[in-house]
Amino acid sequence: MRCAESLRVQAYFDGEVDAVSAVEIERHAEHCGECRTLLKDLEQVRAALRRSAAYAHASPALRTSISRALDQDGAAPVQDMRERDIRGPAAPTRRIRPFWLGALAGVGASAVAVACAFLLVLPRLGNPLIDELASAHVRSLMPAHLIDVVSTDRHTVKPWFAGHTDVSPVVADFEPQGFRLMGGRADYLDRQRSAVVVYQHGAHVINVFSWAGDGRGLPADVSRNGYHFVFWKSGNLDYCAVSDTARDELLSLVRLLQDLGARDRGE
Amino acid sequence: MDEKRARFEAEVLPHLDAAYRFARWLTHAPADADDIVQEAVLRAFRGFDALRGSDVKAWLLAIVRNCHSTAFRQRQRRAFVPLPEENDAQYGYAMRSNIPDPQDESIRRDERRTLEKLIAALPEEHRTVLMLREIEEMDYRQIAQVTSVPIGTVMSRLARSRAALKARWLLETAGEPRAVR
Ligand SMILES: [Zn+2]
Repeated sequence: MRCAESLRVQAYFDGEVDAVSAVEIERHAEHCGECRTLLKDLEQVRAALRRSAAYAHASPALRTSISRALDQDGAAPVQDMRERDIRGPAAPTRRIRPFWLGALAGVGASAVAVACAFLLVLPRLGNPLIDELASAHVRSLMPAHLIDVVSTDRHTVKPWFAGHTDVSPVVADFEPQGFRLMGGRADYLDRQRSAVVVYQHGAHVINVFSWAGDGRGLPADVSRNGYHFVFWKSGNLDYCAVSDTARDELLSLVRLLQDLGARDRGE
Repeated sequence: MDEKRARFEAEVLPHLDAAYRFARWLTHAPADADDIVQEAVLRAFRGFDALRGSDVKAWLLAIVRNCHSTAFRQRQRRAFVPLPEENDAQYGYAMRSNIPDPQDESIRRDERRTLEKLIAALPEEHRTVLMLREIEEMDYRQIAQVTSVPIGTVMSRLARSRAALKARWLLETAGEPRAVR
């Protein structure tokens, strides 16, 4: 009974099709009531899930426990290794809960091997700017590193940058569009000061870095380690938005910021 | 701290919350999720030397899934008990500076409870792809990597879980004026 295009329509909704297919699918939906309904349903389900799903966080107790377990694991002496060889692989000595004893002992290593197998071929990207952006983004996710000035009001964030960086980026709250302004932060990129505007999108943090452009070209957009990097220029500033949110979601924030930048400059 | 540990903390631990959320959807029980995540992180650490570049988040979540299915096979499934509020308060940590408007709060709480029940009722392989897509916002390729199925399967599971959720949501909220906006 379903329209034969329904999976493609879903792929379009998920931002998984190229521009040409997108146009085709939009044209199809104009004439297919079923697919129009489908698009509306997809949007409703997404909105309800993002509104209501519990964005649970790992508890401090779990973090502490993991950190302790890693200490023990990393400090495992050579002697320990030898003992393990003698006793065979199924000798987990550091389980936190007896429940897991045995359950995960033998199988895990091969599971990891399988998980690793198809990752080995991918090389690390060597652009130093992307490396810096990646580590600045990751640093920001550590507790207390995220925000210097906490505010959902751009009239607070923008003047704060004036006093703390040489950079005056576009700042706005886009809560209705799903991007909530959380605040701002000063950071260093390529040895110069940069302004970072922080947004929250569902369970995800988005850092929008900006720094004084020097006319050099920007790297191409890239995805790495589960993070997406989107670059653009606006006025005399270079921008990069970084997040593990979906790429199409990140692009919609970038478009909002680009439009705002163009309006600010009176274009 | 040695170099491997430092690199691991920088590249893998930022995805700990995602791993924890994923484990919560797999297990329903917060304490089990803690165990699975801890086990998965240790395994990830041991396998980390072999990892060069690539999608760390999808890699970590694939290990979480493997740890869960291993544990799951090893024991009888506990009867599912919907998460009570206290458990959320104890184990769930709200998003930083996400201060909801108090008026919205009770509506959201009702909606959340209904949705959690409906999500929990989905078959695990459907629930998994749905949450990876809508909450973790992973793309099809990443979801395929985490769940070890072809992209075509990801697409059909997504379609089915979304349709099922929508249909049950309509049933559940029939007669409530503010149900479907
Ligand atoms: Zn159609």
